[in-house]
Amino acid sequence: MARYQITADDVPFAREFMADPFGYRSPGLQRVLNVMRGLGPQGKYVILCTEPYRRWQLARLPARRGEAIEAVEGVNYDDLGTAERDVFLRRWRDLGGPELPLELLTMRR
Amino acid sequence: MLSLIAYTNTLSAAPGETIAVKVGSYGARTYRADLRRIIQGDRHPDAPGYKDEAIALDLGGERVARHQAIRAGSYVQIADRGNVLAELSSFTLAVPVLPTLIGDTERTIFHLTGIGLELLIDAEGRACAKLGDARLTLAAPLAVKQWILLILSFDKGELCLSALTRESEVIAAGKTSAALSRNAPVAVMIAARAPGENHFDGKIDSPVLFSRALEPLEAVARLALPQNLSRLPDLVVFWDFSRSIDGTEVIDASPHQLHGRTAQCPARAMTGWRWAGQCQDWRQIPELYSAIHFHADDMTDAEWQTDFEVTLPKSLKSGLYAIRLVPDGDEAQAYHCVFAVRPPRATASGNTVCFLLPTVSYLAYANHRLGLDVPGTEVGMGRLVEIDRHHAFLQEHPELGFSFYEVHGDGSGVFHSSRNRPVVDLQPGIKGFLGGLGSNVWQLTADTHITGWLEHQGVAYDVITDEDLHRDGLALLRQYNVVLTGTHPEYHSLQMLDALQGFVDRGGRLMYLGGNGFYWRISFSDAHPGVIECRRSEAGIRPWEPGQGQFHHAFTGEYGGLWRRNGRPSTELAGLIMSSQGFDLSEPYELGEAASDSRADFIFDGIDRTLGRKFGAFGLSGGGAAGMEIDRADFALGTPRNALILGSSKKHTDIYLMTPEDMLDPTPDMSGTQNDTIRADLVYFEKEGGGAVFSVGSIAWAGAMAWNKYENEVARMTWNVLRRFDKRN
Repeated sequence: MARYQITADDVPFAREFMADPFGYRSPGLQRVLNVMRGLGPQGKYVILCTEPYRRWQLARLPARRGEAIEAVEGVNYDDLGTAERDVFLRRWRDLGGPELPLELLTMRR
Repeated sequence: MLSLIAYTNTLSAAPGETIAVKVGSYGARTYRADLRRIIQGDRHPDAPGYKDEAIALDLGGERVARHQAIRAGSYVQIADRGNVLAELSSFTLAVPVLPTLIGDTERTIFHLTGIGLELLIDAEGRACAKLGDARLTLAAPLAVKQWILLILSFDKGELCLSALTRESEVIAAGKTSAALSRNAPVAVMIAARAPGENHFDGKIDSPVLFSRALEPLEAVARLALPQNLSRLPDLVVFWDFSRSIDGTEVIDASPHQLHGRTAQCPARAMTGWRWAGQCQDWRQIPELYSAIHFHADDMTDAEWQTDFEVTLPKSLKSGLYAIRLVPDGDEAQAYHCVFAVRPPRATASGNTVCFLLPTVSYLAYANHRLGLDVPGTEVGMGRLVEIDRHHAFLQEHPELGFSFYEVHGDGSGVFHSSRNRPVVDLQPGIKGFLGGLGSNVWQLTADTHITGWLEHQGVAYDVITDEDLHRDGLALLRQYNVVLTGTHPEYHSLQMLDALQGFVDRGGRLMYLGGNGFYWRISFSDAHPGVIECRRSEAGIRPWEPGQGQFHHAFTGEYGGLWRRNGRPSTELAGLIMSSQGFDLSEPYELGEAASDSRADFIFDGIDRTLGRKFGAFGLSGGGAAGMEIDRADFALGTPRNALILGSSKKHTDIYLMTPEDMLDPTPDMSGTQNDTIRADLVYFEKEGGGAVFSVGSIAWAGAMAWNKYENEVARMTWNVLRRFDKRN
């Protein structure tokens, strides 16, 4: 349903998100997040609570009710901020966003 | 994943009463049961600590866990009597249908078991009839959400099937040779081949069976005058779905009286094939509400066998309890069957404080799948959806049935929720989707922030449930000085509202410790024990609409939807009304001038009430006391004129938006950083006769109470109010 396309104009918003994945958003970042977070349900990124409040694993939702959630092997997080940054970058790529500066990519963890 | 799930026959029992426990293994081999009193269920590291209490009661030793299946899907079942059906040698079945889901599998409309006669829609969406070994399939697939009249007749070895439009145009027809033979007892299934097998999704309108073969237009002419059908000598049965709409009975209006029953609560009071907007209330012209909407995923009664029973000790104090089931010796995998021990029925407990456990709202959210089915949930959460093991289980087991937040497989809204099935999110310590950054707990577990605080303060209190309140009314509340709500008491029956309103009108004191309370109307029905109905009419934040002409509940005829649109806005009871929701961050209140009013002295005892000071800038639910779902005072909508607005949240993120009922003319300034209506107000008002109300208008309040192990100004204020409210003068 989303109409908005991520372009080079959105790089400042990626910077804003990577600096603080929680909190108040500029209108531009909110627009980018609305596109990213409205994706799905098939293949939507979610995080599995493998240890309550301590450890999470990346996973993807299936297309239909009754099908299993698919864990992404080897992608685990020790805090929610790291998970948010990692998934933001994955979605940026999935949605055809332009190359991001190296310093943003290295903020993943 | 969960290796064992269970449910009890009730969510409330008095001391000395017996509870039946129904357990189903999903991998567990054995389990042990014990009785626990639940005190604080949030497991977040910053929460006060998970706390329950073992009750010394022998529930037996190790038991073998057995699998119990759940067969979702609604249907009607009718037994033959007097061989009325078994001795048919020729017949015509006429039935209007409106399929809402086709493809993938065969979907049975009508099955005459024992004769092997079946009318169905095949996996390609084509109408099809089976009789013995014969199979007759019409060429053109049916369209979804369009009425079609199917006419199936048999005589002298010939089976004929026709499909007609509402305008009596024959759009497809066919015939084949077939033989009629009886090989087993005869019964009728409508909307399924058998329970759990080949269920139909869509509307079926009052099937009629005649004892001879009729030409299609001859059958159409008869259906045009349903009131005359019972006088026709060749009428066999006329299952008139417009009768007994509020119950489970399916009435045969023919002289044979082959009545049947619905199972798994299909939607009744649904517009039939003759409805074209003539009325909106099924009670006015019930003949137009001649359809039942069946769903392959309807589930209101798992019908599990009881594994064991627990008789509660007569000395057991009222409270929040669970029968804990520990599978294969692994306590970390324990399943909790939560229930309230209400005070004794015949005698007063002596307690003057009552916590009203919002079990109706728990059922409204029972097994909800917002983070699984609805992509936009993550937008509203403002962060990734977290999946714990109960969510993963729900994803793989949709047969557990849904909440009011889901749509059925055919996209239509879920009108019914039930406690007669495992409700896997009605357990302490589990994650929510909507609980905000921090604990991210919702409903029951969030409410244990309140029970934990009551225990921390050493308060002697009773716990009653919404269903107790609905059944017993104000009589149940008379012994109390104070009633405390949960964090999100959103759904109420008229009887529940009347009891609470009557309580405060007669000197009772209400502490509304939540947000978005008293919002939606629900109905109970004696014909459907343990089930509630909700039709989300007109406005409100809602995932579906009930469909045109279908806004009145089948259970009671009540007009569904918001209490605000039913003459009972929450402002009357609680002084506040739903304003907005967002599930990321919460905010503090900023104290207003009314905080310094002398009437509020007791509320601010020991608390700085400097004008403009931020109050409650902390918490487990989004980091503030005001958030998640928030209510405002609104004098134009009924907030009492004497209400003191002690404080208000002054900003929220732009995830918080105005509600549909407020957003009459959408403009781009209706979000949390821009619009002043998007706020939580902290309100206190007094009633004539000594009654009083303290309302926080925020789901996040209790998460702030539990901050720093209940040592904070929000908990202090709550204590100030409770201490004062509990004194009668």
